[in-house]
Amino acid sequence: MILNRRSLMTTALTLGAMKAFPELSYAQARPLVFATFTGSWEEAHKAVLVPAFRKANADAAIVLDPMLSVDQIAKINAAKANPPIDVMLHDPGPALVAIGQDLAESYPVEKSAYFKDLISEAQEPMGPAPFFQVVGLTYNPEAIKTPPTSWADLWKPEFKGRVGITNLNSTLGTGWLVEIAKMRGGSEANVDPAFKALEELKPNLAAVAANPGALATLFQQGQIDISPGNFNAIQILKARGVPVEFVAPKEGAIAFKTTIHIVKNSPNRELAFKLIEASLSPEVQTTLMNSPYLIVPTNSKVAMGGEIARVLAKDTAELKQKFVFQDWKKINEQRSAWIERFNREIKI
Amino acid sequence: MGTAPASRDVTSYGMGLAAPLALFFLVFFVAPLLQLLWLSLHNDTAGLHWGLGQYLHFLTDPFSLSVLGSTLLLGAEVTAVCLVLGFPIAWLYQRVGPRLQTIIILIVLLPLLTSVVVRTFAWIVILGRQGIINATLQSLGIVDTPLKLLYTQFGVVIALAQVQMPLMTLPLITALGRIDPNLDDASCSLGAGSWRTFFRIVLPLSLPGVIAGCTLTYAAAITAFITQSLIGGGQMLFMPMYLYQQASTLQNWPFASAISIIFLLAVLAVVSVFTTLGRMSRGYGGA
Repeated sequence: MILNRRSLMTTALTLGAMKAFPELSYAQARPLVFATFTGSWEEAHKAVLVPAFRKANADAAIVLDPMLSVDQIAKINAAKANPPIDVMLHDPGPALVAIGQDLAESYPVEKSAYFKDLISEAQEPMGPAPFFQVVGLTYNPEAIKTPPTSWADLWKPEFKGRVGITNLNSTLGTGWLVEIAKMRGGSEANVDPAFKALEELKPNLAAVAANPGALATLFQQGQIDISPGNFNAIQILKARGVPVEFVAPKEGAIAFKTTIHIVKNSPNRELAFKLIEASLSPEVQTTLMNSPYLIVPTNSKVAMGGEIARVLAKDTAELKQKFVFQDWKKINEQRSAWIERFNREIKI
Repeated sequence: MGTAPASRDVTSYGMGLAAPLALFFLVFFVAPLLQLLWLSLHNDTAGLHWGLGQYLHFLTDPFSLSVLGSTLLLGAEVTAVCLVLGFPIAWLYQRVGPRLQTIIILIVLLPLLTSVVVRTFAWIVILGRQGIINATLQSLGIVDTPLKLLYTQFGVVIALAQVQMPLMTLPLITALGRIDPNLDDASCSLGAGSWRTFFRIVLPLSLPGVIAGCTLTYAAAITAFITQSLIGGGQMLFMPMYLYQQASTLQNWPFASAISIIFLLAVLAVVSVFTTLGRMSRGYGGA
């Protein structure tokens, strides 16, 4: 093959154009685009949800485009009439933002085979919750011999300089603050008691991480021994051999609904519905519940097993009793003020 | 400009070749910047009501101003550390044989070849409670309990200094390379000691490199979101994290835009001070 300047130029320009305008390389009809989250979510969805969906829908084309909730909202907002995403996934806070900005389509509940089987908290008409994220106490069993049982244990004097928390940027940080407020007589509308409690926690604080992922690193480095933490994030650390354990505090583990929505004006509405159906199905939820994914199911037909049954709940009834759900509508109203206050007051 | 009359002026150049890049900048840099400015001039998050409310909020709020101040201070500290540690390396580079030169340049460039995330995580391992520094100090019996290095200003400065060091060293190497080595000898033969030679000859002549290095390091250090948040943690707030919080978590785009415009202007002010110093130094160096 002879390379001359002209052919090189043509190739370079073509490649450049394909990179700059990826639509060129697709056919006219766009495949179903599912904006999942990055990391372990993407892995789980690629390995379980996507194959189940394709099997049930004659190998329909689907693309995973993992990104944060805020990026999903920004991308859809930029092209509301012809959105580049068909199915979006959200934590409770961003879900309310997306619904508030009229980006989600109401879920065709009457057509759904599984919606009625979901536990009542997951039955959201604007987009059901296929999974729960659970926040409890995580600790290093090598350093802490008696497992903690309550959020209040974080204040114990023996954990001086050993406690880690995250700031309020994350759902975890904000949800935890609200739970502390409730423990001290506050509520979603009044977190003053929680800020007072944080003031008392300062001698114990070793770190305020910028995000929950950074907390995991701190366990690994022995920087902290106890912190509020996400059940799934801890499982990943455990699998890597880091000494960490998860316990649901007696006040109840905080459960966040991860909701899945059909994007308004999606050109692939029918396939989007089918994908969400697959995510609600007992088959997919059972597979995702088992090792290595350990994602908490929301379909009451799924029989709890494995690590989830051991640590969290044996069945739906126990799950509803041990989990606390929070009112994110109320939380969103004041969240920016709390973040500002946290910025100002929490200096260690 | 681009015309070619019979007697072509050799000191002027056609602008045609710069047009693609200029267009690129116009579309992907200037236009978004204007959009940012436009957005920052709104009082509500939906961007419907015009006003200077966001700027007033920032400039009258002691907390916001302290975030800006600590960010600018952080940049100054990192730049100072880079300069003090980077200058001897650049100086050494000009005075060793070619083989050592290759090794030095490799060591200087090596950090640039790994991702900033990897470098930052390495610093978490080094600075942690059970990290290399604490383990060494404890085994030598210098300290009893581990020092808190991670999530401190000290940790951020050290990590950023290492991460940004090449930006300081490379311009310094170039600048020092331009100095005629005979000037050193001349200075010494005229009776000046080595310190006097350094401060009166080498340092003034290398000032353009110092200024360039400082500008690059400073700009990179204050905007280094990843290193700042991973080593500094969630309670040390610098401008990039403040901005991220407002835009991403709170969806308050107008305030985030105002923060970035103010940050941009503050950085431009600092950089223009550097540039002015650079212009003055050129006069000095040429004298």
